Amino acid sequence: MDPIRRTLLGQLARLSAGAAMVPLSSIASAGINQQPPRREGDPSKRYGMLIDLRQCIGCQACTVSCHIENAAPLGSFRTTVSQYEVEHQESGEVATFMLPRLCNHCENPPCVPVCPVEATFQRQDGIVVVDSDRCVGCAYCVNACPYDARFINERTQTADKCTFCAHRLEAGLLPACVESCVGGARIIGDMRDPESQISRMISEHRDALMVLQPEKNTLPQVFYLGMDERFVTRPDAEPVALEVLDPHGQEMGYEFRH
Amino acid sequence: MNSAIELLAPRYDIAWYPWAVQYFFLIALSYASLWLAAPALVFGRQRWLPTARLALLACLTTTLVAPVALLADLHQPLRFWHFYAYANSHSWMSVGSLVLPLYLVGVIVLAWLAWRPALQAHRQAPGLGGFVARWLSLGNAPTPRALLVLVGLGTLALSTGIMLYTGAEVAIVKARPLWNTVWLPPMFVATGFIAATGLILVLNRVSGLHDMATNRQMLKVMLGACLVAGLVAGSWFLDGINANVGSVAAAMESVRGSAEWRSTALWGGLTGVVLFGAVLFLLTRPAARRPALYAWAWLLGLVALHVGWMFRWVVLMDVQTVARHSAGFHHYGIPAGSSGVLGIVGTFGLWLAAVLVVDLLIPWRQARQGGSAADLSCAHSAHAQRAAETTEGALRHG
Repeated sequence: MDPIRRTLLGQLARLSAGAAMVPLSSIASAGINQQPPRREGDPSKRYGMLIDLRQCIGCQACTVSCHIENAAPLGSFRTTVSQYEVEHQESGEVATFMLPRLCNHCENPPCVPVCPVEATFQRQDGIVVVDSDRCVGCAYCVNACPYDARFINERTQTADKCTFCAHRLEAGLLPACVESCVGGARIIGDMRDPESQISRMISEHRDALMVLQPEKNTLPQVFYLGMDERFVTRPDAEPVALEVLDPHGQEMGYEFRH
Repeated sequence: MNSAIELLAPRYDIAWYPWAVQYFFLIALSYASLWLAAPALVFGRQRWLPTARLALLACLTTTLVAPVALLADLHQPLRFWHFYAYANSHSWMSVGSLVLPLYLVGVIVLAWLAWRPALQAHRQAPGLGGFVARWLSLGNAPTPRALLVLVGLGTLALSTGIMLYTGAEVAIVKARPLWNTVWLPPMFVATGFIAATGLILVLNRVSGLHDMATNRQMLKVMLGACLVAGLVAGSWFLDGINANVGSVAAAMESVRGSAEWRSTALWGGLTGVVLFGAVLFLLTRPAARRPALYAWAWLLGLVALHVGWMFRWVVLMDVQTVARHSAGFHHYGIPAGSSGVLGIVGTFGLWLAAVLVVDLLIPWRQARQGGSAADLSCAHSAHAQRAAETTEGALRHG
């Protein structure tokens, strides 16, 4: 579109009632929808994770061990590794890109203030958890998470998500995904402890670290090292897994276009 | 041309089911029809009384059924009391859970006040109708007009709370750029008014009232609502293509290149324009031709209901199929069971049942702006006279 037309349309957009809506938007984003106070957990700690993508081979050991540890229903994942085939734009060389994904335990988690019953909350050590006895299963948090980190557990009918394996951390163990990672790509630790491995790696690689969807202002606390910036936001990729449906609309399997 | 192919990513299911569409649709019909009942019931405009009667029927029945759909969308519906035991003022949904019951009570009390004189007049009626009238009318004392106005104003205020919270609840979700826009709440309200005027046009026909003034009033409101909706949709679109607003630009980017979304946008736009054009056509016909033409206004009512419902379906269901941090779109097939087709049909069935029960037991056609049963008989003749004058007036002025 040529710049003159663009400007004209821009003027039109500003002219059209837009100004009237501004107060509405500030109400919606301030006051209501603020973070409620954190509760429980150790206030002297702040857990975070660093994922060294240079070490990830996409073996899905984390996916499987998380599934076993946390008994997620089939098809729902607290963590998983998305895999992409990426073609170099000039040389045409093909490589595989692995993107381990889990809850980012954001500093400004959008899933927490939306909860109408405060069933999901952020602990003082930064871990975002769900009280499944209180959760009403409204699924507002599932929609509010930009990272697909939450799902409704079909067995409990409540919201479910990664907890950094808080129950294991409290017992002095590593989360299942960290424990099982063959390349040691996942590093978890207390970021308030300057001597922890995660703190040392964050200070060493500060400029190279990336987080997912930073523009959403969620301040994720899962940091990626060796990240390709094309995958920081929703990847512009061709989805290849196509569901094959039977005549009744039920899924029969997958088909690959290539 | 993409240079990347997604080999492996989970398929993410939708989290809000068609129940949500039913709730948003019914509650929009509810608050919009309340505002259409208000000119006569609250602000005393006699010419709007036939409209108010239909609107009150629509308002009460949709208000009763909407919360059922909302409860059904919870995965743990029996835990609804947690909303009150653990209310969270940080959440729009929690705010809504406080406004909704107050609004529900307001609508029920308003309807009762408006129907009470007629109920009192029906106390001697035979059968179940008379029994219900005796039981519901609670004595012979007249219904103070001031009380009706007061309850009406309170309920109107609460209805703006419903408009605000249903819009804001969805519009604050940054994770879904197609929702995250200030244009969404006004669009919900505008399409809500389009649908409610449509519903009243349909009710005006199926109830056998065939009130000409109601048809004309509803067509006028619908024209205004169509204009507002067009303005809002246009502004959203301009915001997006100019990248004035990041979330709108991201929203348009997220569905760019999708044939389904392009046809959805085209269908929505065309239907809106056709509806607007048809309403404008009807409103500008000479008075002599109106009775014949307005007899078909209920067809536009059906189109308007389609617009209101489809907008909510696209916003609440289709948007959930746009992948957030993986490629492409997720497949969603409407399941046959209660979280799908059965739920949709069941909600409408429940609404129909509510309408039939009210029609069977309550003399809603004689709803009034307060007063006593004695007013009813003299009002009948006065109303008939007024109706005759209106028709004459329309003919003269046309």
